[in-house]
Amino acid sequence: MKKIKTLATSTLENFLHNRLLLLVLILALCLLTLMLFPLLAAKSRTTGENQQAMASMVLELISQVMSFSSGLGTLLAAWGAADAFNTELKSGTVLAIMARPVKRWEFLLGKYLGVMLFMGCYVLVMLALSYGMASLAGVHIQASPLVLIFYPMVRYAIYAAIAMFFATLTNTIATMGAIFVIAMGIDFVTPRSPAWMPKLAWLKTTLYYVLPSTNLLTEDRFLSLRQASLKQATWQQHAISLAYGLDFALIVLLFAMWSFHYRTLRED
Amino acid sequence: MTTPAIEFREVTKVYRKRLRGVEVAALTNASFSIFPGEVCAFLGPNGAGKTTSISMLMGFFFADSGEISVLGYPPGDVRAKSEIGFLPENFAFYKYLNARRLLQFHYALSGRSTENEDRVISDLLSKVKLAEFEKLKIGKYSRGMVQRLGVAQALLHDPKLLVLDEPTSGLDPTGRKDVRDLISSLRAAGKTVFLSSHLLSEVEQVCDRVIIISKGRVVQSGRMEELLGAADRVEILATSVPEELAARISEWGGAITKHDSAVTIVVPLERKRELAELLWQSGQDVIHILPLRSSLEDLYMRTVGSEGEQA
Repeated sequence: MKKIKTLATSTLENFLHNRLLLLVLILALCLLTLMLFPLLAAKSRTTGENQQAMASMVLELISQVMSFSSGLGTLLAAWGAADAFNTELKSGTVLAIMARPVKRWEFLLGKYLGVMLFMGCYVLVMLALSYGMASLAGVHIQASPLVLIFYPMVRYAIYAAIAMFFATLTNTIATMGAIFVIAMGIDFVTPRSPAWMPKLAWLKTTLYYVLPSTNLLTEDRFLSLRQASLKQATWQQHAISLAYGLDFALIVLLFAMWSFHYRTLRED
Repeated sequence: MTTPAIEFREVTKVYRKRLRGVEVAALTNASFSIFPGEVCAFLGPNGAGKTTSISMLMGFFFADSGEISVLGYPPGDVRAKSEIGFLPENFAFYKYLNARRLLQFHYALSGRSTENEDRVISDLLSKVKLAEFEKLKIGKYSRGMVQRLGVAQALLHDPKLLVLDEPTSGLDPTGRKDVRDLISSLRAAGKTVFLSSHLLSEVEQVCDRVIIISKGRVVQSGRMEELLGAADRVEILATSVPEELAARISEWGGAITKHDSAVTIVVPLERKRELAELLWQSGQDVIHILPLRSSLEDLYMRTVGSEGEQA
């Protein structure tokens, strides 16, 4: 357990020293800060007559901010997982690590948990930012903070596990390509998506069951006024949704461990 | 019978580039054993299969066929790894860490109790002469300092077996001597050392056993004294050599090298006494007589031939 913890914390530390990653985060924060201006403008123009419309507009804006941070989070989780693995291989640091009495699955799990630690920090920062923006605009976010923490974390856990699996097979760029295809594919196979050719209906059904239902795990469902009419989910419903997501992530992570067990640690 | 610390039995490894349909045999039916307490040199030209063999030994690569055992376990087994200290050919590290933090990281991974951690790390940093740089980020270290840090991390958990891939690479003469002394002290402590190197003269001074590999095949393997044999030639340093004696030396298959005020004559061992007497009779002075045996370099060049000139 100590080895896994050491690997996880070193992975988090690697992220905090990754200039490219930090640059992306700084740019994202700048972008989010820019979005404060329309928010403050909306607040200053709020009158007794347009209060409801303005509140609706502000929440819509915050919802967009959260969607953006959610999309960026998915990208970061996948990229972080692929990069955490491939950088170790490419730089050769993995050799000195794997010469220690560390099992391959321990190495992979340590890296994965490091990614999740990083994503945990990201979720908390983005949550604080969203609440801060809502507070500035004088509106109230209706969803529970727990929903806004656990749902994205489980979604990131899925994408990080998928990325880690592909990273054991190929490089970071190809991994991100695969993640992109999967993310697109998920939207095309949901029951709400347009029907496919009858001959390919079986493929759509298969993909629907194979690909993770990350739409189910989006916190957007609980966010805006627009969707406030949705029936509030009970804790059992939340638990089932989250357990489904964690189960998917775990299975993919096990596949990644299996794949890593049989691969070489150097380029042939 | 003693269990070998490292054993390769008919090990074959082929690199395959499936898309290009290329196959390169990195190792072919390689067999050798290294016993506990031995210091073994693993020699061969670039691309001979040394790093591949070491990578398989450490469990980084998998053999296509054959068997490898390390300290009685298969490669990659954590029970074996907990007793191995490994220095990769190019020791890589997290550049933002300093030496102490890197060693703390590796210490945690070695699974040892943290009780003596600080003392062990301080001792090692002093041993590799990095104590005064322990707070400097490793990214700012010179190549030699990084290599010394690599040696320190390999020794961190007091391993029974050390696998060192080019341990003197990047080191200056003083650093190389330090590594040589370190290996001698490890041998004295009963550790097994398996090292690959291109520095044959240094290897000759510290190793008990030699394995020479070429084009993926083990072409020479054995204890150093068996392979180099007893002295078979003698070097005589004299003030001069008369013309008629020079002709006889030539007939014996000897060689003469002239210096400013002396000549060095190398002849077969059985001509030692005869030549010395002839020199004295002709009025020359004999300054020294030195028995010569094959050097590791001679053996290496004879075994590997022109391919070895790359090494």
